[in-house]
Amino acid sequence: MGMDRREFIKSCSLVAVMGLLFGCRKSAVLGDIASQLSVPELKRFEDEVKLAMSQAKKSLDLVKVPTPGALKIPGASTLNRFGMAIDLDACDGCGKCILACNLENNVPLVPEEDAARGRFMHWVDMRGGAPFMCAHCGNAPCERVCPTGAANHTPDGLSAMMYKRCTGSRFCGANCPVQARKFNFNDAQKLGLARQFNREVPLRDKGVMEKCSLCLHRLQNDRLEFKTSLTVGTAAEEWRGRGVKTACAEACPKNAIVFGNWLDDKSPLVQLTKNRVLYAPCELAALDPSVVFMRGRR
Amino acid sequence: MGESCVPEHTPGPIPFDHALHGDSIGLDCAACHTGARASANAYMPSKADCMDCHRLPLTENPGIETLDSVLAKADDRPWSHKRILPEHVVFHHGVHAAAGVACSDCHGSNHMQNRYGGEKFDMQSCLKCHRGETFKEKGFKPAATYCAACHR
Ligand code: SF4
Ligand code: SF4
Repeated sequence: MGMDRREFIKSCSLVAVMGLLFGCRKSAVLGDIASQLSVPELKRFEDEVKLAMSQAKKSLDLVKVPTPGALKIPGASTLNRFGMAIDLDACDGCGKCILACNLENNVPLVPEEDAARGRFMHWVDMRGGAPFMCAHCGNAPCERVCPTGAANHTPDGLSAMMYKRCTGSRFCGANCPVQARKFNFNDAQKLGLARQFNREVPLRDKGVMEKCSLCLHRLQNDRLEFKTSLTVGTAAEEWRGRGVKTACAEACPKNAIVFGNWLDDKSPLVQLTKNRVLYAPCELAALDPSVVFMRGRR
Repeated sequence: MGESCVPEHTPGPIPFDHALHGDSIGLDCAACHTGARASANAYMPSKADCMDCHRLPLTENPGIETLDSVLAKADDRPWSHKRILPEHVVFHHGVHAAAGVACSDCHGSNHMQNRYGGEKFDMQSCLKCHRGETFKEKGFKPAATYCAACHR
């Protein structure tokens, strides 16, 4: 029992603050203050992206890779394998994709000390002047070491994160050869660094790993809509995720990020990579990445 | 697996009898619970939805007078519905309806009295059906069981 000094002072100041707040004219003021404290302005997200870009890594070692084919994991779909190709000839490194991703996926800000050390939560980094995110490796080393199965693969080729299953061992982060994973060391919500721009994506708690989801919610929403529009019993066509774009691809003014389905000949991904030379970061080349880079013509 | 995911219904000011509207006159659930067949959420009707039919006296039932007076006094949204599905769970009504699952398969036929999984409804209840272990007589196709199919 008993209170230590710190707790006593804390409770005194709490009472004082409460008194101040309840003394206000309207109780709505309470809510206003809380929201001002907890919801950072858009400008802070924009500034943080600029800061991250100024600290970006200059080099990116790429090696040639073949066009991704069907996944070789049990239960994999033979129809869909989603991925992206980043056109290094078109990208001018503007960084609009980073902000778009942050807003789409409610990626939190980091405290100043972390920012000074280049520790951002951004799912997209700039490396070698181009966007760099999780490659959704077909043979993902990160998933293999997850003790709870929170990091796992969907049949459609997304390396997915089940935030509620993540216990924060950080094994996956250690086993990703390109540091695509970002760990919530901070309680961003409590620190007023998180903002839910997009209701489709939940905010992450402290102690949870996150990374590019390949905009999983966009694909899944499209899949659900597609299946809802089918009538029972008809041999309808299968869902191929046509028409879906990731937030980063949508935001790119140069169309340098192409999203699509590697197994669908009608997909822009297949069509626009057909005559190009594909590359992957050398650390990932042997891991069957779904997100690749392209440059030059074949 | 934690708390129940089935929304609790708060009794509204209007005595509503599901049997009278559904079983006896054959109204489809989605007529009032819009969205139940085509979108993610099924909604609660507003007073205006009731009034679409109840503007005219519809039956000889003496209860109709009580109803008229209650309806006149009720707010625009007499029923509220609190979604208690956690934020990281996606349940899409339309997909289930399109797959041939009837509303009553999960919600029960007598206003939630015999609903699927009962009070203990949880993720296992979802999974059992998705794996084809329950509702065998209905012949539903086995459905997705990978995490990201329903979780965000
Ligand atoms: S890039 Fe890293 S985090 Fe992404 S799937 Fe590959 S190993 Fe995992
Ligand atoms: S695919 Fe989506 S989650 Fe991944 S980097 Fe692009 S916007 Fe972010």
